[in-house]
Amino acid sequence: MPSNLLLELKHGANLFMRLHAATNQHSALDNITRQAAEWLVRLSADSATSSDYAVLLAEYEKWKQADPRHAEADEKMASLIDQTRQLRNVTPNTAPARAAIEAGFEKNCKRSHIKSVGAALVLVLALAVPGWLILQSYPPAYLMADMRTATGKWETRTLTDDSRITLNSASAVNLDFDASRRVLTLVRGEILVDVAADPTRPFLVETVHGSIRALGTRFVVSLDTDATTLTMLESSTILQAVTEKKLQGKAEDKATKNANGTIINAGQRVRITFKGIGEVENIDARAISDARQFRQLVVENRPLPEVLDELARYRPGFIRYNRAQIENMKVSAVLPLDDPDKALQLLAKSFPIRVHTVTSWLMVVDATNAVIATDTSRK
Amino acid sequence: MNQPASITPLIDTLYREHHGWLFAWLRKKLGCPHHAADLAHDTFTRILSLPRIPCLHEPRAYLTITAKRLIIDQARRRQIEQSYLAELVLAAETMRNFPSPVEILAVIQALTQISAALDGLAEKPRLAFLLHYLDGQTHAAVASQLGVSTRMIQKYLVQALVHCHQTCYSN
Repeated sequence: MPSNLLLELKHGANLFMRLHAATNQHSALDNITRQAAEWLVRLSADSATSSDYAVLLAEYEKWKQADPRHAEADEKMASLIDQTRQLRNVTPNTAPARAAIEAGFEKNCKRSHIKSVGAALVLVLALAVPGWLILQSYPPAYLMADMRTATGKWETRTLTDDSRITLNSASAVNLDFDASRRVLTLVRGEILVDVAADPTRPFLVETVHGSIRALGTRFVVSLDTDATTLTMLESSTILQAVTEKKLQGKAEDKATKNANGTIINAGQRVRITFKGIGEVENIDARAISDARQFRQLVVENRPLPEVLDELARYRPGFIRYNRAQIENMKVSAVLPLDDPDKALQLLAKSFPIRVHTVTSWLMVVDATNAVIATDTSRK
Repeated sequence: MNQPASITPLIDTLYREHHGWLFAWLRKKLGCPHHAADLAHDTFTRILSLPRIPCLHEPRAYLTITAKRLIIDQARRRQIEQSYLAELVLAAETMRNFPSPVEILAVIQALTQISAALDGLAEKPRLAFLLHYLDGQTHAAVASQLGVSTRMIQKYLVQALVHCHQTCYSN
């Protein structure tokens, strides 16, 4: 028996020594990992200025070359860092990526907790999102306007001076009439104006982009986020962009101001942005002039994003797209505004685009050929 | 898959002896034969893709653990995908260009890896890692956001990197 015991003891000592060696090796590797991590952190420190950086980089290279295990430990961590940094290139807004990373491991360790928080969040979102969407699509200026129409509704009104205005879908105007002038401010959407002549009181339509002075006329003014579009149907108007107004001194009287404006005649259309008045283009006024046809979108050679923006006004919610993908597609069409979803389907039939309905509030339009192009470039 | 030729019979026996019960076990666990077949296949693929085939004394235990890990990974990936897409739609308002489907796929893959690497790390080192490397904030900015010194942030970052290295290594 003692020999057996001895053998066991020997075996035990052997095992212990082997274990010890393994632990030593392990901690040596741990040390290398730690050193590599310290190097990487030092390299992205705030104090690493350009001259320091070159020195630091040289030392770091030396350290990497000293032992193949150094380089190996470093490579793994550096590639994870690169991978993380590259996410910013795809979307500069990192909030979705952050949320997704957190979602990835929270669930594993605190399932029950997350479930209840998740349920609460869903409830809050369910309550908050419609509120947020409503505010997005009906900002306060719209809700407080003197006259407004809901999405998909049209309205024609005769004003006190016998001028008639037709508000298009989801549009809003403020009226400011006094003894010296009639000012109509377009807050949102599109209006068709039939101005009643009144030589003593000029009729002005104003938007954030500029002001339009009517000379006894009929015209359409349409406002979107980056431009006001004026379409002249009859007679003419004098147009001033906000930038021009700012350039002129306050001391100058109205007459000079008007004289300096741009005259837009029947059958012309022009876009006014904060940069000024765009190029004047000729349009077929008859196609638009009928108030009934106001319910049809008549477009000639216009970029698809503009047409989508226009359609978005006739349906509740949003239409999202990637402008770069589709702005080269030019549309010439008569689209039904009573049924914007059908209009979208018509567009999807004639262009290489796909329309996804995410929810009834959100439609996403993307180009089919763009996706294919990216795919093949990756191969 | 750069396995030497001598390995192939080893995998061959492993597959023939164990695929049957692994599939049955997964089917019971997942309740879907197609999903179970995929996962059983993925389990063997993962073993094949290891730098060296481990010497399996307990092949059943090893295969079950590998399969379980795959199930967790898939759940994680789904979770990340859903969360990312939901947040992306919310953030769409502020974005100039919506990422393309190919980009989204690549991002989700990267996010899955990062999330797996950071799993199990304490909150502050994790936040330091994300604020610095993902958001691109300076050490000082991260320090003031987390209410600790810059020196501490550097410690957190080292801790996070070492942790990531270990989690990647053990996988």
